[in-house]
Amino acid sequence: MSSGKFRQIVGLVLLASLAFSTYSCTVASSSEEFFGTTTPPTRDIFRYVTGDEPASLDPALGNGQPEARLYMALYEGLVEYNPKTLEPEPALAERWHINNDSSEFTFHLRTNGRWSNGDPIDANDFVYSFRRALDKKTASRNAYLASYLKYAQAWNEQRIFVRDPKTGQFLLERDFQENPPEESIGNSPLDPAKSEYLPDPNESTPDPDTAFHHQMHSPLRLTLPGDEKARTKRIDASPKLKAAVAGKEFVPVKAEDLGVEAIDKYTVRIYLTQQAPFFLGLLAHQVFRLVPRKVVEQWGEQWTLPEHIVTCGPFKVKQWIPYDRLVLERDPMYWDAKTVKLDELQFFPIVDQATAMNLYKVGELDALYNHAVPNPWLHVIRQKKDYMDRAEAAIDYLIMNTTKPPLDNPKVRKAFNLAIDKEAYANWRRIVKPLTAFTPAGMFAGYPQPQGAAFNPAEGRRLLGEAGYPVVQNSDGSFSCPKFPVDQVEFIYNSQSANKSVAEWMQAQWKQNLGVTVGLRNMEWKTFLESRAKLEYKGFARGAWGADFMDPFTFLSIFYSADESGTGWLDPKYVAMLDEANRTLDHKKRYELLAKAEAYMLDNQPIIPIDTPSVNWLKKPYVKGMYPNPASLFAWKYVYIERDRAKWDYGTPSLTAE
Amino acid sequence: MFRFIVRRLLITIPTILVVISITWVLIKLAPGNFYSGEKPLSPAVEKIIREKYGLDKPWYQQYGKTIWGIVRHLDFGTSLRYEGQSVNTIIKRSLPVSAAIGMLAYLLALVVGVTIGCIAALKQNSKWDYGSMALAMLGISVPNFVLGPILVLIFSLGLYWLPPSRWGGFPSRNLVLPVLTLSALYMAYIARLTRAGMLEVLRSDYIRTARAKGLSERDVVIRHALRGGLMPVVSYTGPALAFLLTGTVVVERIFALPGLGNYFIQASLNRDEPLIIGIVAFIAITLLLMNLLVDIAYAYLDPRVRYQ
Repeated sequence: MSSGKFRQIVGLVLLASLAFSTYSCTVASSSEEFFGTTTPPTRDIFRYVTGDEPASLDPALGNGQPEARLYMALYEGLVEYNPKTLEPEPALAERWHINNDSSEFTFHLRTNGRWSNGDPIDANDFVYSFRRALDKKTASRNAYLASYLKYAQAWNEQRIFVRDPKTGQFLLERDFQENPPEESIGNSPLDPAKSEYLPDPNESTPDPDTAFHHQMHSPLRLTLPGDEKARTKRIDASPKLKAAVAGKEFVPVKAEDLGVEAIDKYTVRIYLTQQAPFFLGLLAHQVFRLVPRKVVEQWGEQWTLPEHIVTCGPFKVKQWIPYDRLVLERDPMYWDAKTVKLDELQFFPIVDQATAMNLYKVGELDALYNHAVPNPWLHVIRQKKDYMDRAEAAIDYLIMNTTKPPLDNPKVRKAFNLAIDKEAYANWRRIVKPLTAFTPAGMFAGYPQPQGAAFNPAEGRRLLGEAGYPVVQNSDGSFSCPKFPVDQVEFIYNSQSANKSVAEWMQAQWKQNLGVTVGLRNMEWKTFLESRAKLEYKGFARGAWGADFMDPFTFLSIFYSADESGTGWLDPKYVAMLDEANRTLDHKKRYELLAKAEAYMLDNQPIIPIDTPSVNWLKKPYVKGMYPNPASLFAWKYVYIERDRAKWDYGTPSLTAE
Repeated sequence: MFRFIVRRLLITIPTILVVISITWVLIKLAPGNFYSGEKPLSPAVEKIIREKYGLDKPWYQQYGKTIWGIVRHLDFGTSLRYEGQSVNTIIKRSLPVSAAIGMLAYLLALVVGVTIGCIAALKQNSKWDYGSMALAMLGISVPNFVLGPILVLIFSLGLYWLPPSRWGGFPSRNLVLPVLTLSALYMAYIARLTRAGMLEVLRSDYIRTARAKGLSERDVVIRHALRGGLMPVVSYTGPALAFLLTGTVVVERIFALPGLGNYFIQASLNRDEPLIIGIVAFIAITLLLMNLLVDIAYAYLDPRVRYQ
């Protein structure tokens, strides 16, 4: 190619790219009030991205955020999340009363509840749905949330009771516990002389007493593993148990033993293993929503297919093309159909953030899911008036493998925590708030959240020195820690550009303040999870959690058992502190005890708190009745399209109740 | 010829089984499970799930069950992630989407690519030649995850002419951008292959003979030269079409299309074993069949090729 021609072509290419970049600049820097078009749809429809394709339309199965949002349109339970505060409010249950120690709940159902096929909803539907959600055959991943129900775990794991064939008496749990805790009212025999419910002006006669009530309202029976090998192992481990079991018969725990009862057609009573003041809030969770018995029994796993499915929420399935769209329409059978304002809800499964943003911009979507705005776009998008910015009931933190040196030493863990300037981090990330405790800052009203340790690199260096890794200051003012075994720690995170920059930020802080260079390693998501769950990693790993229900316990319970935290840290004292708090009936006192437990955990430092994220998503100004609540769960029946510009939302709508 | 086809088809079966087996082993070696999530499951719940899906059985039983289902009933089982949906249904549903996009893209690539290639060959060393080949080089070098967003930026976000993504049925305006994005690479490749093939053929003796007989240049090019000049394009068509028909991961992702490619990547990320195996087997079968078709087409196009 002659040089003249070559120059011609290069010139052309340059010209084209110049034209293109000028053009894209004008797109990016446009100073419009909103992101993209603001023409409302002509019909009363709402178009939304759910995130990933839902795993299933069965509320007992799906355990992700995309599914939770769908289920809120299709199914209802006893209570529903308030659209602003997420506090439980009446749904299929009209009213309820809770006994004095939060271990027994009685719900009165509304009599006009109906399935989408017109069948009436009654108390037996709840009994069936709860039993099914916990049935081993259902294999629900959410079963752990229902474990507060009496014999829920035993039924889920198909354990067995031990009964004396002669007397018909069952062995009791408390007889085989080292330090049996104080029994809740619900675990003591019924005392007809004392009412355990506060008097209720709406309740002229008390709820009927039943044989099942007596059976539930008594000390917990002992349960043993259903699997013979595991059972023998358990029995052989305790001579006392071995002696007690001899000559007794094993009775499998059945669905009928689960702590839920239909007292009459419209009254449901729920019995809990322990006092659980937060349980009412938990009842709005999808695992407690109703499924249609007839349809499930007729079609098995296929019951959720559009041609079979029957639902009980404000909307019902109209069309489902997996990976393309799920169209829901208003259900005229729904008990509160007059409140439902939208004719149609359209959910699109879109994973790619930029793709979702584009569709929103051109007006093919009316709102985006939480965390839909890609990080690099935030600085522009967050200035738009359709950007939703509110605190989120979630936390970001680092977990540490406390089973491997050098992080098995709390002093080392503390040093690494003290060396991170969380204020600076939050300023850099822009949309997060610094966090020094383990519960999201300021999320639970009246909760005396512990302070946690503030940024203090000097103290961090001192602690590292005490642990045997002295930090020395170099002549240029920088630090180094020659004795620290850097090959024994690394920071793992799942591959995502945002995670990478966060990891690099932490790495820089430790290098600067402790003189320790921690290696970084990114992993594919599932590989990362496996490495974390099995404690195969060494050093640090990224962690995040969002609330299952609006109570500090949803976060604190991560360290309640050995399996969930990924740190290997489990302290019986901490567990006992949580138990004590949950046994406390006085709300304020309970929060104080929970805060004490949180402070204790923080002092042991199995994790490094980083930040409380904010929700970040977009909603067109004409979408009303949809609020950026802390869990991004929306009660769809209140959402509507406002065509009067004067009534539009210019900015994030308020969350305080009107 | 008939015996050749039968033999090739018979070899296909063990090949597919080997492909499936290797895939199966790779999935088993990959860390993580379809049920793992941010919060690990309690051991009891994990055990229940493993039992339900037969993951507690020894490996040879699991492998045997997978293979037996495929061999006996052509049944790849039920997706682990999408409860109640069989792999066969998922493939049946998403194949038409991928195939529509792929077919259109390849047709476009073929028409435009061959035309450009011919012009470049006939006007060798002219500015037409250099210009089109530079463009083709650009088409090969610019990956579709760059080209796609650029097209969206111009035609959807800038001009509001076309929808930026999503499936709109067939035919619809939604097809334009993904088809353009997908075809660019193939178009460029075909243009280069055509040019090279044509240049070689145009210099050969039988073309000189054709010209000497006094045929018009048009007849020489279309009736004689093209047939030989397109041979490289034909052999490229087999694998290209197989991959295009069975879904293109990136384009389906960018444009949020419910095709096989989107399922494939998601299935791998979800560790959805039956779905991965089903899609891999399907792609392998398509690839083998396409190659067979190409070999047959060869025999017709080139009289020198004869299969025993």
